[in-house]
Amino acid sequence: MSVAGLARSVRAGALSPREAVAACLERIERLDGELNAFLSVRADAALAEAETAPAGPLRGVPVAVKDVIDVAGERTTAASRILAEHVAAADAECVRRLRAAGAVVVGKLNTHEFAFGAMTTSPHFGPAHNPWALERICGGSSGGSAAAVAADLVPAALGTDTAGSIRIPACLCGVTGLRPTTGLVPIGGTVPVSWSLDTVGPLARSAADCALLLSVLAGQPYDVAGGARGLRVGVVDSLFERADPAVAAGVLEAVEELRRLGAALEPVEPPLLEESGTINQLLMLPEAAEVHLRWLRSRLADYGADVRARLLAGLLLPATAHVTGLRARRWYGDELERVFDRVDVLVCPEMPVVAPPIGEDTVELRGERLPYRLALIPFNSPWSLAGLPVASVPAGFVSGLPVGLAIVGRRGDDETVLRVAAALQQATDWHERRPPLVERSAHAA
Amino acid sequence: MRSESSPPPAAPSIDLLRGLAAQQGVFPTDEDLTGVLGFLEVILPSLVEIERRLPPETAP
Repeated sequence: MSVAGLARSVRAGALSPREAVAACLERIERLDGELNAFLSVRADAALAEAETAPAGPLRGVPVAVKDVIDVAGERTTAASRILAEHVAAADAECVRRLRAAGAVVVGKLNTHEFAFGAMTTSPHFGPAHNPWALERICGGSSGGSAAAVAADLVPAALGTDTAGSIRIPACLCGVTGLRPTTGLVPIGGTVPVSWSLDTVGPLARSAADCALLLSVLAGQPYDVAGGARGLRVGVVDSLFERADPAVAAGVLEAVEELRRLGAALEPVEPPLLEESGTINQLLMLPEAAEVHLRWLRSRLADYGADVRARLLAGLLLPATAHVTGLRARRWYGDELERVFDRVDVLVCPEMPVVAPPIGEDTVELRGERLPYRLALIPFNSPWSLAGLPVASVPAGFVSGLPVGLAIVGRRGDDETVLRVAAALQQATDWHERRPPLVERSAHAA
Repeated sequence: MRSESSPPPAAPSIDLLRGLAAQQGVFPTDEDLTGVLGFLEVILPSLVEIERRLPPETAP
């Protein structure tokens, strides 16, 4: 059931908060053994809290949060050995807002170690498995969040996104995810990756549900009505040309649907697309290294190899590189802003490939084999670097695996991004499809 | 100041990286530093190109 539908049922008295939470806990118990989406489940606490959930727009709605987000009295492990026993003293501000609106937190979700990677294959807690193909990754770093929503374990989850960490797993798991405008949702109480790039945002089945969650998280209403008619949509052709041809063709179908809905399409080539990935790294890597400095000194061997290499790269970049990054971010942002004089949103494939197998760190892209982490950068970093809102929405399937459309808006115009996503979802049903795992489970139950 | 025609900085060596890490109280293995080189070999040439193209009047 959708977030909005659950909340309506609770308000109408057709479902109690305890029943809603119990149903989620039952699905987690039945399915998460195969998925490893959850790092911890707070069954008894959630059932007790459901009894006293305050009145609000999310009363009785079960949610789960990525395990870099603090929930008072619960462990925040960041899927790391270093924080494996760390217990949060207070709720993160985003969690406080969800709870004040009546939501009930049922557990903490798997992530790439310290949210610093795009696979969700923690060497300490094990990989999260993609509900569409259990031998494949969920993407990341909010991989557990996307898997839990895709498998109907919860109707909504929170993730964090520094350089794609909500959008990538939303795409690879076939759900809707929103990276809000940087700064819109408070990041206090989350384990940071990069102070200047981090965001907290929702993952749910639909854009309408993401809008409902964002209204609570940001403390202001978001209206997704209005459709796509008359909106100017810039199609980033170069990213379609760079993606796997089958993925690009699938996502173009979604773009054509926007045309049928009355949007005006035009090709757009955003400036500095190549450079933006490097600029993002110049900021993110040293900022992450600074966050981790005390553990780099005292617990270096306790990191997984990939995260350790990223953090050390940040430590060893010249100091001037970060300053160049700060200056180049301004340069890039000014250039990109001009594009939005011509269009209301940009669209492109969210990812160039479908979910790779667990354990495979390279992908085949247009005849070239390259590292997965490098393949995804041009599709994600340009928008995070500028602090823009981006939704990843399901846009079909290639070989039975989900592909996604990225919808990028002006800074602060999260509403138009969600409006375009909602219009697409009113005309299509990709976001309503369930993985075979869920279908089998429903028949067996 | 480096002129536009000057050669780009050389790629760092493992020994140099080890020394820079030690100055900051961090002691990685050679295997760790080989992984770091993989990152730097991608980033540093792009950084040089960004330095070259960045309009000089751009403030952070």
